[in-house]
Amino acid sequence: MATTITKTETVIGKRIRRKEDPRLITGTATYVEDIQMPGMHYAVVVRSPHAAAKIKSIDTSAAAAIPGVALILTGKDIQKVAALPCGASLPGLRVPDHKVLAQDRVYYVGHAVAVVVATDRYVAKDAAEAVEVEYDVQQAVADPEKALAPGAPAVHPQWPDNTAFTFHQEGGDIEKAFTEADIIVKERIVSQRLVPSPMETRGVVALWHAAEKSLTLYTSTQVPHMVRSLIAQMLGLDENRVRVVAPEVGGAFGCKLNLYAEEALMSFVAMKLGKPIKWIETRRENFLTTIHGRGHVDYYELSAKKDGTITGIKVKIIQDLGAYHQLLTPAIPTLSVLMLPGLYRAKTMCADIVGVFTNCVPTDAYRGAGRPEATHGIERMVDILAAELKMDPAEIRLKNFIRNDEFPFPTATGLIYDTGDYAAPLRKALEIVDYPKLRQQQTEARAQGKFMGIGISTYGEICAFGPSPATPAGGWESATVKIEPSGTVTVMTGVSPHGQGEETTFSQITADELGVPMDDILVQHGDTSIVQYGIGTFGSRATAVGGPALYFAIQELKTKIKKFGAMLLESEEVSYTGGKCVCNKTGNSVSLKEIAGAAYRAMKLPPNTEPGLVATYFWEPPNFTFPFGAHVMVTEIDPETGAIAIKRYVAIDDCGNILNPLIVDGQVHGGVAQGLGQALWEQAVYDDNGQLVTGEFMDYTMPRAHMMPWIESGHTITPTPVNPLGVKGVGEAGTIGASPAAVNSVVDALSTLGVRHIDMPMTPEKIWKLINARKA
Amino acid sequence: MQDPVVLAACMPGCESLDLIGKDEYRMKMKMAMASLSGAFDGKVSITEQNPPNSFRLIVEGSGKLGFMKGEGLLHFSASGDGNTPGGDVHSNVAYEGDVQVGGTIAAVGQRLIDATAKMMIKKFFEKLASLPAAS
Amino acid sequence: MIPQQFEYSAPKSLDEALSLMADGGKLLSGGMSLIPMMKLRLAAPDRLVDLGRIKELSYVREQGGALHIGAMTTHHDVETAPSVRAKCPLLAETAGFIGDVQVRNMGTMGGSVAHNDPSADYPAALQALEAKILLKSATSERVVTADDFFVDTFTTALEPGEMVREVIVPVEDSSTGTNYQKVLQPASGFAIVGIAVRLRKAGGKIAMARIGVTGLSNRAYRATAAEKALEGTSGSDAEIQAASALVIQGIDANSDLHASADYRKHLATVYAFRAIKAALGRTA
Repeated sequence: MATTITKTETVIGKRIRRKEDPRLITGTATYVEDIQMPGMHYAVVVRSPHAAAKIKSIDTSAAAAIPGVALILTGKDIQKVAALPCGASLPGLRVPDHKVLAQDRVYYVGHAVAVVVATDRYVAKDAAEAVEVEYDVQQAVADPEKALAPGAPAVHPQWPDNTAFTFHQEGGDIEKAFTEADIIVKERIVSQRLVPSPMETRGVVALWHAAEKSLTLYTSTQVPHMVRSLIAQMLGLDENRVRVVAPEVGGAFGCKLNLYAEEALMSFVAMKLGKPIKWIETRRENFLTTIHGRGHVDYYELSAKKDGTITGIKVKIIQDLGAYHQLLTPAIPTLSVLMLPGLYRAKTMCADIVGVFTNCVPTDAYRGAGRPEATHGIERMVDILAAELKMDPAEIRLKNFIRNDEFPFPTATGLIYDTGDYAAPLRKALEIVDYPKLRQQQTEARAQGKFMGIGISTYGEICAFGPSPATPAGGWESATVKIEPSGTVTVMTGVSPHGQGEETTFSQITADELGVPMDDILVQHGDTSIVQYGIGTFGSRATAVGGPALYFAIQELKTKIKKFGAMLLESEEVSYTGGKCVCNKTGNSVSLKEIAGAAYRAMKLPPNTEPGLVATYFWEPPNFTFPFGAHVMVTEIDPETGAIAIKRYVAIDDCGNILNPLIVDGQVHGGVAQGLGQALWEQAVYDDNGQLVTGEFMDYTMPRAHMMPWIESGHTITPTPVNPLGVKGVGEAGTIGASPAAVNSVVDALSTLGVRHIDMPMTPEKIWKLINARKA
Repeated sequence: MQDPVVLAACMPGCESLDLIGKDEYRMKMKMAMASLSGAFDGKVSITEQNPPNSFRLIVEGSGKLGFMKGEGLLHFSASGDGNTPGGDVHSNVAYEGDVQVGGTIAAVGQRLIDATAKMMIKKFFEKLASLPAAS
Repeated sequence: MIPQQFEYSAPKSLDEALSLMADGGKLLSGGMSLIPMMKLRLAAPDRLVDLGRIKELSYVREQGGALHIGAMTTHHDVETAPSVRAKCPLLAETAGFIGDVQVRNMGTMGGSVAHNDPSADYPAALQALEAKILLKSATSERVVTADDFFVDTFTTALEPGEMVREVIVPVEDSSTGTNYQKVLQPASGFAIVGIAVRLRKAGGKIAMARIGVTGLSNRAYRATAAEKALEGTSGSDAEIQAASALVIQGIDANSDLHASADYRKHLATVYAFRAIKAALGRTA
């Protein structure tokens, strides 16, 4: 047994630069817009400028007369296309008939009324402007609370109360908790509508192969297989004759976890016209018609004991749904309810959701999808409670955290938290900022009349979506690993990365497991005719569910490799390591390349073994994962102007094992930027007539690099037992932690004036007004 | 000065005005400001008439750029004293109003809607003031 | 983001450009405002005359105690030209606040001035500098003061067929202290309020004060009441405070999503104080 094994250097856990970056940063990647085809036609959608109106007439004659115009369709022409599906099922859910073009009414600004197709996009745009639509403008309602008020205009005339659903969930004896409480704190907390704003807007190229009766659809999506199944249903096509390709996708943040009208509409146009059709969403359309995120008005109540022990959590969530349900619209606030207890031991909760129709574009999943709203609420409430009890916000959290020996921990909302050490990231963050010293500095600053704030947030997440019974469309993930005859490795994953870096991390997993160089591994994804069925990338699931699927596929393949190795080495006992099969007795070895050659040449086969080296694995996760962390933000406020300066930002995340710290840090940094974006700058503002007044980057403040603080990111590592890699997911963590840290910090700064809550975005004018009002 | 036709004609960019109903006119106007330019097709209506003190002027228009609706309550009063040497009777016009816009201009022009509306109103009153006095 | 069809010409000489403009062409300089408007079809000129290739319009020259800055000089060039930095530091400092790096590399002095966005940065500095603007048409040439030139929101003294040829600013004597302070609207980068200040001291007193204000109202203006209040004082904090309060005197402030009229006015007084203090610190 005295064998020397040369082990290749492992790559998991190393800061490895992303394989996908060279093509992205040199502009050589292929996005939908880069696809050109002979005979291509271009589509422009005619959209409603009104938020609520009856369509009196549509005159397409002038548009049709423009040379180069090939086809114009209006609502009456798309009756064969089924309505867009809503994937969420809730008891009593009212589902409006969501056709790909408006029928007799429009329900929001940007609502598609007609599609114009021409030989070039300039002609198509000219013709779209020549389509005359006569509207009978109706009164609109854009605010969810106003929509619930008696006498509000009905978004859908058949449902005058504008209520799509109500949802109730409770655990424990909430009445008892509130009756016996020493203290009850209440607050109205708004999580405003946000525009996801990926760098690449949506876009579609649709191609109909008449002879084969098959459709190819290139679309900028996070879920190509889901789009294939749904498009096939909507258009009455056989699923195996629909190919969906997600080429390079320039960001999504949840807004491309969907099925959009244009995906079905352009496919239908391609079938009708027999030409390749391209539609690229303009930025203006992206603001108006791609889903928005958040849109909550929440009424929170917390009951507690004098010593700070939280005994009960109540919330009423008013969810602004917009005019329709997109794929998961009504399901998003239910995730807020699941996340409600946060990291705390309180087992008594009560949540009510009212889903409200408004004359706005639908809301749906946006980075965190329901969980940032809940975390923001609970983390604000804990600070409010601490302030009322004159307790330190760190101390009250440490007091209420679920203890390490309580895992697996069943929550009041029916989840089982897998594992955790919730105090660890908080303690680490407090140590980094030297918390006692920081508080002392704050005391000194206050003595000089300065407003300095220290904001703490601790957050939990529900990630790695998820066990299939708990998801609308299956929560497993798939992987195929092929060792080619030459010994190079092709991985086909069912996830659909669009910035998360799985081409790199999955190469790392494969490189370590198979002992092959990173460069010999190709990770393919996003093409339904290449990749076996998969679910896609969202909900911090790609590495935490797709990773284990890959891991198990490799294990299966290794068994087969060893069979061939044993055959070639004429040995009973072999092990596979460092890219070689080694005979445990003689130390003789045979390389993967030699094994692959033998497996495909198949001159001889091991007993009961087929030729080739391919394995596919569909992995069903037994549970979600529950990452956690702590953020600390230090601010100083200009008392004269209300401007907020971020002096320090510390983000400690526990996402379990880390495959590539570079990618994990990048995810945290980007997430924090989006969380601070909500806290400080971003807001989708509709006026009373349903006009989106922040409909361009001139008025919608996207955070930019120079507005960001230096983020001191760090980690604690508590591997999850849910999967063999011990990874939990990190895509949403930064966003979830950031907004409460920011608001807690600014409220802390102004607490000397009696300020206890500020809604987002915390614009300087808002802060100035607070200071002024309190001074007066 | 309270003749609706005269008032409407003072509206910047007004190209034509046709009576279509009682106190209701169809108006074509052209807006040109900076590089922005576009034609609006719209309606002018006069309501809440309380001669000689006040009335409400409503201007609505839509075009490729989007649509807009402006309405203002105009109050008239006289000041000064014709008997004092060198003194004139002045007609004062005060207004309060609101502008709504929709479509593309609403999305890109937030920053400028207030400034633009003020300029249009200023031009309106300048033109009104330049008209020969009614008396 | 698809403009309407238009004719495009890119003349190499000023004369050619003027004659194309006389024929109804719309001038394109840096395109930082016009191109986005065209992409949204809010602007739809039939003919564009691109000034980008006219070398003779991009320069900074010192002549007769003044700096002459050609219309096609980019913001970046104004910001970094050694002559501007040394002889008219207020203008260089102001240019550095415009938009972002990309905008400063493309956008031009002439384009910005002719556009007269009420929240643009240059007009504040040009008011404080009592700058002159040289206007040229195919047949004539005239010089107007900045105050006469910036008429109203997007409205200038330019007549049809006229273009901004150059901007003329004084060469500062080295004792002048200047400063530009800006509160930027974080989405667009335009000024919510911008305050440009020039001060000269003599015998321990403020002998000259010039204050230009942008972003606050329909046009950039000189805050003459504040200037007068400052002149003759020694520049104590209390005196600066009192003068700063006058910056908004008689002003009908704009209001939008990003700043109400009250907040804008408040910011103007706060930033006037800061700019005056900073400029005073730079006087010799």
